Amino acid sequence: MNNVKQEDAVKPVPLNMVLEALTFAAETPVSVEQICKIYAEVVDQDSPPSEQAVEEALELLNESFEKEGRAVRIQNWAGGLRMATTASVAPFLETFFRRERARHLTKPLMETLAILAYKQPVTRVEIDAIRGVDSGYAIRKLLSLDLILIVGRADVVGRPILYATTDRFLDEFGLRDLAELPNLRQTEELLGDGTFDQQRLRRLISKGLDPEEPDGASSSSDTSSTN
Amino acid sequence: MYRVQLQDFEGPLDLLLLLINRREIDIFDIPIAQITNEYLSYVGLMKSINLDGVGDYIYFAALLLSIKARMLLPQPEPDAEEDQIDPRQQIVEQLLEYIRYKEAAGHLDEKREQRIKLYTRGKASTPDEAETSEKQVLVKRTIFDLMNALHQVLEDAPDEESITILPQQYSVEDQSEHVRKMMFMQKQVSFRDLVRGKTRGFIVATFLAVLEMAFAQEIFVSTTYDGNGFIINRTSG
Repeated sequence: MNNVKQEDAVKPVPLNMVLEALTFAAETPVSVEQICKIYAEVVDQDSPPSEQAVEEALELLNESFEKEGRAVRIQNWAGGLRMATTASVAPFLETFFRRERARHLTKPLMETLAILAYKQPVTRVEIDAIRGVDSGYAIRKLLSLDLILIVGRADVVGRPILYATTDRFLDEFGLRDLAELPNLRQTEELLGDGTFDQQRLRRLISKGLDPEEPDGASSSSDTSSTN
Repeated sequence: MYRVQLQDFEGPLDLLLLLINRREIDIFDIPIAQITNEYLSYVGLMKSINLDGVGDYIYFAALLLSIKARMLLPQPEPDAEEDQIDPRQQIVEQLLEYIRYKEAAGHLDEKREQRIKLYTRGKASTPDEAETSEKQVLVKRTIFDLMNALHQVLEDAPDEESITILPQQYSVEDQSEHVRKMMFMQKQVSFRDLVRGKTRGFIVATFLAVLEMAFAQEIFVSTTYDGNGFIINRTSG
């Protein structure tokens, strides 16, 4: 028994192969720490690979997948590695699984979720203040979808409930962690003191209101190129 | 009676942005009197068709009115030390803050779109398979565009002769049936044709039925290019 292990240790399998094997076989996301631990257990108990090494192996692997024209990549969502198909083959999988076309979250839910994601932990009052409407319904809905959770109470009068996003949110939006949230522009950026671009704001307003503006149907006469 | 939840659609800040955008107004120099009047006419229409969630709109209507009042008051002596605070500042700041998050919500939605296209195995799979996502309201334009169209149709509707208050004559359920019947033979039908020659009560109940059906994804609604009407389309087949 012991011999087998030692033999393995003599011809160490490169980390990227282990990564590929584990993410292929696993039916749940695998964390980077888990991979480090497993690799160390088999190869060398005393010097486990660094998380950095796993990240590098992951990149290497994805690069070779791309070069070989493979239809899978290893993704890190919510801190869990897993093998996923590429976007280019999505129509085939959609047909195979007969999955209904992905449904959107409604605008109110998306807005509430966005405010919550960037400002978390946050109270309902703060969300209401930005949206100008009662967000109670949207918050309950997001809670039931497991996209947000209650993380405590704010240390202010009334001790209002604080909300934050879940790992499932990261997973469902394809984010490794909150640092990967798309950039939220600062108001100052919009205003840019003297050089504030009115045109840009106008475009933004219309875009914000109606992201699927059909071409030509826009009310503004100067529908210009998007940036 | 079944009520349409306005919260499922756009909010009061969206209406303000729409009014500002439609006129291509400088956001820092909002003609508050005009905008207030337009805003109030929308709120009036919402109240008349009894949409739920009008309260949030009324708050902003009150805010706009108070700004309008302050702007009509004689300005106090200009203070050399301090800048004059424009009464409109608060609402502009709120609009800008709202725009930031609307933009972010759009970006996040794109992320989700991309993510959904990537398939995984077993329990590592896309969470949306667990039926988590919401129904999309199949309205291509904003609720305000629809209300605008409704307003036009109501303008043309014959006045009810009697002022006697009758018990509710039309229910949303009955009107849904009416819409279904009208759509049985054709793929799409304009709202105007649905309610041609009918009374206001009929029109309003039909409008609510259309919103309900759009929410249930039975139909989708698009506006005509002139923005004065809208078309109801069957979703399937």
